Formats: sequence, structure tokens, C-alpha cells
Amino acid sequence: MNKTKALVWHNLNKAKGQYISFALIICLTAFIMNIALVLVFQTFAAYDSRFLELDTADINFMIPQFQDDSEIIAGIGEINGVSAAEKHNGIFVCATVREFADSDFDMNTVFYNLDETRTLNLLHVSEYIKKDGNTAYIPMYMKELGGLTEGESITYTIGDTDYNYEIGGIVSEMQYGNYGTGLIGGYLPAAAYEKLADEQSNHVITEYSIRTTDTADLSQIKKDITALLGDKGVTPLNMSDKAAAKQTRTMVCTLLIIIFLALAAIILAVSIFLSSFRIRSTIEDELAQMGVLKAVGYTSKMIIRSATLPYALTGFVSTVLGAFLSYAVLPDVAAILAIQSGFIYTPVFDIAALLIVVIVPTSIIFIFAYISAMKIHKLEPIDAIRGITGKENTGQNILLSVLAVGIMVLLSFAGTLFYNVSAKPDNFMNTLSEESPSVIFKAQNDKMTELKNLLQDESRVKLVLEYSTVSVNYADGSLTAFVCEDFGKVSNDICYEGRSPSDEDEIAVGNALADNYPLGSRIEITSSDKSANYVVTGYIQSVNNGGRVCQLTNEGYEKIGEAMSTVNVYLHDTNAEGFIAEYEDAHSELISSSLNYEQLSENGKKMYAGIVSVVAAALFVVAVLMVLLVLYVIINSMISRRRQEFGIYKAIGYTGRQLTIMTINRFMPVMALSALFSAIAGIWYLPAINHTIFSQIGAIKNHFEVSIWILLVVAIVFIVTAFLISVLLAAPIKKITVYSLLKD
Amino acid sequence: MNKQTVISAKHLKKSFGMKENVQIIYSDLNIDIYKEDFTVIMGSSGAGKSTLMYSLSGMDKPDDGEIDFDGTDITKLNSDKLAVFRRRQCGFVFQQIYLIDKMSIMDNVITAGVLTGRNKEDIKNRAKQLFSLVNIPENTWKKTSSQISGGEAQRAGIVRAVINQPNVLFADEPTGALNSANGTAVLDVFSSLHEKGQSIVMVTHDKKSALRGSRILYIKDGKIFGECNLGKFEPDNAERTEAFEKFIAEMGW
Repeated sequence: MNKTKALVWHNLNKAKGQYISFALIICLTAFIMNIALVLVFQTFAAYDSRFLELDTADINFMIPQFQDDSEIIAGIGEINGVSAAEKHNGIFVCATVREFADSDFDMNTVFYNLDETRTLNLLHVSEYIKKDGNTAYIPMYMKELGGLTEGESITYTIGDTDYNYEIGGIVSEMQYGNYGTGLIGGYLPAAAYEKLADEQSNHVITEYSIRTTDTADLSQIKKDITALLGDKGVTPLNMSDKAAAKQTRTMVCTLLIIIFLALAAIILAVSIFLSSFRIRSTIEDELAQMGVLKAVGYTSKMIIRSATLPYALTGFVSTVLGAFLSYAVLPDVAAILAIQSGFIYTPVFDIAALLIVVIVPTSIIFIFAYISAMKIHKLEPIDAIRGITGKENTGQNILLSVLAVGIMVLLSFAGTLFYNVSAKPDNFMNTLSEESPSVIFKAQNDKMTELKNLLQDESRVKLVLEYSTVSVNYADGSLTAFVCEDFGKVSNDICYEGRSPSDEDEIAVGNALADNYPLGSRIEITSSDKSANYVVTGYIQSVNNGGRVCQLTNEGYEKIGEAMSTVNVYLHDTNAEGFIAEYEDAHSELISSSLNYEQLSENGKKMYAGIVSVVAAALFVVAVLMVLLVLYVIINSMISRRRQEFGIYKAIGYTGRQLTIMTINRFMPVMALSALFSAIAGIWYLPAINHTIFSQIGAIKNHFEVSIWILLVVAIVFIVTAFLISVLLAAPIKKITVYSLLKD
Repeated sequence: MNKQTVISAKHLKKSFGMKENVQIIYSDLNIDIYKEDFTVIMGSSGAGKSTLMYSLSGMDKPDDGEIDFDGTDITKLNSDKLAVFRRRQCGFVFQQIYLIDKMSIMDNVITAGVLTGRNKEDIKNRAKQLFSLVNIPENTWKKTSSQISGGEAQRAGIVRAVINQPNVLFADEPTGALNSANGTAVLDVFSSLHEKGQSIVMVTHDKKSALRGSRILYIKDGKIFGECNLGKFEPDNAERTEAFEKFIAEMGW
């Protein structure tokens, strides 16, 4: 080893610039990879740890308080796999939260008595400043996304009554998901709780919280609970479990991890090509010197070691550096994720992530470098000495092709993502959400038909559709049911296989149920004390509800519940806020409540647009950096190899500019063609990539539009950027004098 | 006095190309190289001088035959064993010099020196002595090959070749890329080394260089066509020069 140390250092010194550029790429890989791995190792573990710390129940369900009796808790205690159970009262209402992210926000909310003693579902309160009848505590999710914070006021509208509170503090809990699961908590000090319970006495519920044994089958326990309640003629209002909450709250985190790992893999692949290219170039450029080294007694192994160790060393140092640098941004990444997850965790140093980030890329780089250097083994010293140097490295154009295609995949993905969030936000929202009308009106009792007829005659209205979201139950727990008069008219078709129901006996179920309910099978749905069997006609997707959803026709739902009284209103280019105000003023006898869904949707779009813009910008910066660094290596290598050739050209009258263009022409057409090819091929591969990534979070049917024009613009931007970078990097050719070129 | 054989090659055969394009460089060639001799291999272009020298030194493998190099049949050694063998036994000086660029000439020498496992300081001290011997001033030692003259670079190449005190120093047209003054300076170094007992094998087609040798071998048609023993180089010995001129004339030079 000592014998090759000098050669290793010499090799490192000789091509410092190239090793530095290589180190930067690897550093970037490690940076991104470490963020992804720390999130993998810590977010889910932190979630689980917080879950345990707050003694969160594995299963929660609610029943109307008047249906509760002491036999239920006793019966639950006897279910196999249940280790503990307790019950509390709550107030379950559909409340509109005013000024939530500058809008009104409808939420199914369960208000709890904050002062009640609990052994399960403990609540961690950030601050506990007031406990009077006018104070409310809100879940962290409402602070992170809704922008509501301690000391400010919050208004819940329940029915026709506004309840104004001062926000006393932020509650950290792990029981609920976020808005996506359709249910959220509200926490009132005893005085405020009692006051609300008096006024909303018909909405008081009993919530059961159940802890299971480690080996328990949650699905079976939920079935047993449903059966127990069924025997008593009780249908739970809602039933949730820890898996669904976790999936919903870590959705963006999962998405980010997939994107980051894919990004790191692409950069690593380019780095490997780059190191292999450099080694092959070095062997060709320094053939004679390698022959001399062999002549003076260096073995092939020693020469190979001297050629590969600089890459392994660079890989090692830069991965360590990249991993440590990532800790500078990890708190910010965690903060962004908290907006969607509603739970904050502080990333800490992770030795396992560091080991993987260092060992995996370094080993891969070393192995590929070693393979590239293997040809040194076969090199006879005399052949090497007599070998003709300056031979064209055939790997160069392959490398550039791979680079162009790899970067174009990144840019095309980023461009398409950005396009579908910024220019066509409905595509993005339709992928991640369900129906998005402009306005939702809830009709006064028996006024549905009158309201609907009125709206249908309105010229500003494009479509009026009876559409409601309710909670129903099936053998394995609760489902969010989308009930509609005609699924053929919906604006966002979320059915990804089979079809939506069109008959009262039909149902389409969410992706979470797909494995257990094949198309054509039957499923029993219950609501209140009624149940009915439906034939599964299709599968629908729902990111927000963890795939625990279903579609029923109006007639189908009416077999188990009362007729719905909400309508979706789809407006032409009319301001929804003004429309609602006008209708509420003019037709208060018809409208019970209204929701500006357009505004709500805008807020959602803004949140996702913010996250996606950051991701797209990061992808763009990474892509430009990669182009810059790889071209630096290639052009530098070309300049050093062709110094004499440039000297001869200059001697016979070529200008520096001509030589620059000649140099760029050696690789630019390959890069440009590869970029254009990749852009056109994007039409086929991008839907597959989008599907692969988004199906991980339950968005199986992807509404993204892959525009060939966007892809071509991305390709042209890439080509122009690469050309400008090349002109910049090839500038030294102009400065080299004929004498110095020939002398070398 | 009987000379001690350091290399004894028998029935050597070497050819290039395949099938109908085979070009036989030499065939059934026998040659001995003696210790402390300054052997010069001459011949016309393409006669196979360098090919023979590189076969004798283990840099290239003959197609057939045996080469006993100080008791070791080097034709039986694999690539790595040959590399280890060359560390102690051989030193090489090339026409194109081939110093490692961007490495100082001192580091070039040390790079070869460390292979024998000696202390770096010892190598440096010996390198300094050798640099003085070949008239390379101290202020040049840290310069790279592109920062010094061709003659200085070639003399540094000689220092690198002899840093491990090789059994035989091989030189392939060492003055071929140098001007007259630099060429003479390099030849003086060879003569000086020979004077100190260094065995040298040099390939050249330059008469001035060949005259430095003590034993001249002339290759023609793949055979040792003639041999002339001149004894040690004496610049003012007209009789020696005359004998050399007569020999090469006989060889058809």
C-alpha cells in the first residue's frame, strides 16, 4: 500500500479539478440520499415512538352516547387480542372552521374534554394558558396548515351557531389523521366542553379507545367489534385504526422519500459513468506512463489500485461531507412535512443512514472503477509504451447520452409535475383528492329539489349534482362514502378499475379494500341500524382516506340512510364567494349551510404547489449542477488530450472560437439528440414514472397531463443550458498559445 | 579472463501478425549478455533491435525460447512476477524519456525507488548523489519534466533507471530525441556508469552512441550477424574508433 501511496496522491493532485467536480456530484448524491434515509429511519420511528409515548389506542370508534351501555365495554374486553379499553364522551359535529388558511373549512370534528383523565390517547399540550369557557385547544395540523395559532381567536360554526374561542394552545395527538381522514379533534377545557355539550346534546357520543396485544389482528378485532355492536343494534359513527392514520399523515413524507431516493440513484448512476469514463480516459491518455510504471516494477494490481483509490477516497470523503451537510436542511424538510403530517419531529444524527450513504455509493464507485481499470491487467508494458496515446474514448458519447437521458428524465418529471401543479392544478388535485366543485350547498329540510331546480336554471351554473360525503361501516371498520345521483357527471372520475355504481345494488370500493373484495363480490355496508349488500363494480382511489372509501348511488345509500341534502355546484367563471353570499342572502329559506370549496381547493393547491415548487426547483438545480460538473470533466479531458492537435490547428490558422466550436461539436449533437429523444420518449415513460410514484400513496389513477410541448421546452432549455455551459468551460482553449500547445 | 554471463537467451523466436501476415522478427536466435559489459545492439530500422532488447529484459515475451536472466528463466514468469523481477534486475531508459508528467523529477525517481522497500530518506540521498553524478542541479529536482530541457529530463530518466542499482541497465535509443549537446551529456552518463561497473544493454542506430559500447552486436535478418569487442570507451583512442568503423562497414552500415 505504501508503495502506491505516492502514485495515488499524484493522481489526485494531477487532476484536482476533475476530482473536485466528481466529489461535488457524489456529495450531492449523499446529501439527497441521507435526507431520504434519515426520513425513512426516523420519521416513521418518531411517529411510532410518539404514538406509544401518548399511549395512543390502536382502534377508536364512536357510537351515539344514548346507545352506549356497560355491556359494550365488557364485551370489548373479552375480544381476543384486546389488552385494554376505555371510553370517553365527546361531541361529534360537522363544524365549519372560519379563517382556516384564509378560508372556511368544513370538518367532522370531535370535541373532547381536555381536563378529563385519560390512560389512552393522551394529549400533549404545547402551552396551557387558559382554562375558561372561552378557550379551545386545536390539533397541531390546524396550526401548521391552517395558520391558526396560540392567542388568536377561532370560530367553529355548528349548524347556525358560531362558537368563538381563544386558542389556548396546540395539542399534539396521534389518534387522528389529518383533514384527509375526514375527522379531526377539538379540545376544550371542562368549562367550555360542558357548555358546548349542553348546547349540542344530541351530538354527544361515546368514544371507545382500544389497545391491542402486539400479535393481534386489527382487522379481526374490528370485525369482532362490529359484530358485538351489531348484536346490540348499534352502528358505529366512525371506526379508525392506527395504520390508516399513519398512512395518511406520512403520505407526503413517503412521496418525498421516493423522489429523493430515485434522484440519488440517478445522480449515482451518472457519477459511476463519470468515474468509469475518467478511468478509461486516463488509461488511454497515460498508456505510456503506465507502461513505464510496469517497466520499473509496478505490478498491475498496484497500478489499478493507484487508478481506483482516488475515486474510492473521493467517494468516501464526499459522501461523509454530503451526509453531514444534509443535517443543515433536515430540520427545514421536517418542518415542511409537518404541514401535512401535523406532527413535528426533530431529525437527529443517524449512524445507520450515514453508514449506508457512505458505504453503498463508495463501494459501487470503487467496484465500477475497478472494473474499468481491469484492462490494465492485460496491458503488456512494451505495448503500453508503444501504444498510441490520444485515442478517442469511445465511452464519452455513451456517457453523455446517458447523462442527457438521465437529466432529461429528472427535468421532464420536474417540468411535468410543475406544469400539473401550476398551469393545470386541477390535474394535480384530481389525482390527490376527490370531487372538487365550486360550491357545496346544504339544503334546508325538504328543500333539496327546490334548491336544485333553482340552481339548474342559473346561467352561471355549469352543473348541479347531488353529492354527499358520509361515514358508513363495513365488516372491517369505517368507510367514507361518496354518495352521488349520477357518477357519470362527476368532474373527477376516481374509478381506476371497473366502473362506478349506477344502480342501487352496486358499489365501488377504495383501493384499501381491493384485495379482499374482488370485482363482482358482495360487501355489506351499514349505517345507523340499517345494512344492505352491494355488488362491487369497481375500485376507486383516495389518497386522503387511506383508500378506505366507497361510492354509492343516492338510491343505494337510501337503503341504509336518509336521503342526502347537499349539492355540488360547478360554476362557470364566476366568483364562488360572491355567488355564495348572493344565494345565502336571497335564498336563506332553501340553504342551510354553504361551503366555498373553490377557496378550499385553492388553499390545497397552494400548499401542494409550494411543496412541489421546492421539489421541482431542487430537481432543476441538481440537473444544472450535474450538467455543469460532467461537462467540466469531459471538456477538461478533451482539452488536455488534444493540446497538440489544437496547437497544430492554431498554427495553420484556426481561431480560438473555431476550436471551441469544434470541441463542442464533438459531443453537443449527441447530447442534443439524446435530450430530444428522451423528451419525445417522455410521452411514454413519464406516465409510468408518475404512476409508480403516486400509486405508492394510493393515487393509482393519475390525472397528470404529459404535454409534449412542455417536454420539448424542457429539452430545449436543457440543450441551450448545456451549450452555454460548454462555451464557458471551453474558454481556456482560446487562451492557450500555439507555442505552449506544441511544446507540451 | 572469462566473462560472467548475466543473460543467456537460447532459440528465441519472435513474430508479429497473424496467419498470412506473420512477420518473423527473429528466429532461433541465441545471445549472451555479460556482466559489466556495455553491450550495444545495432541494426537497420525494423531489424528487431528493440524487440530483442525488450524480450531480454522481460518487458515483452518471445514466442519461443528461453531467457536465463541471472539464474531465472524469465519466460516462465507471469506478468506480476516479471514486474517484481524488474524492480531489482532491470533499469530502463527510453527514447521518449517517459517521465511521469506533473510529477517532479525527484518524485519520479522516488516512485521507482520505493518499490524495493527501502527507506524513503535513503532513496532520496541516493537520488541526490545520482543527480549530482549526471549533472542535474538541485534547483531542478522539484521541477516537472516539462519545466526542464530534454537532456536534463533524459538524465533524470537514467537516475530513475539506476536508483535500484539494477543488474542490467537497458536503454532504447536514449539520445534519439535529443540534440547533439544533450545527447553527448547523456552518453557521458552511460560511460560513467559503465566505468563504475554497471552492465548496460543499449539499442541504437547512432554511430556516436554505439561507439560508447564495449561490445557491439549487429542484427540482420533476424540473426546476430556480427559481433565486435572494443573494450572500454576511450574518446581519444583512434585505433578503437577505426576498428568500430571497420566493423560496421563490414556489416553493410
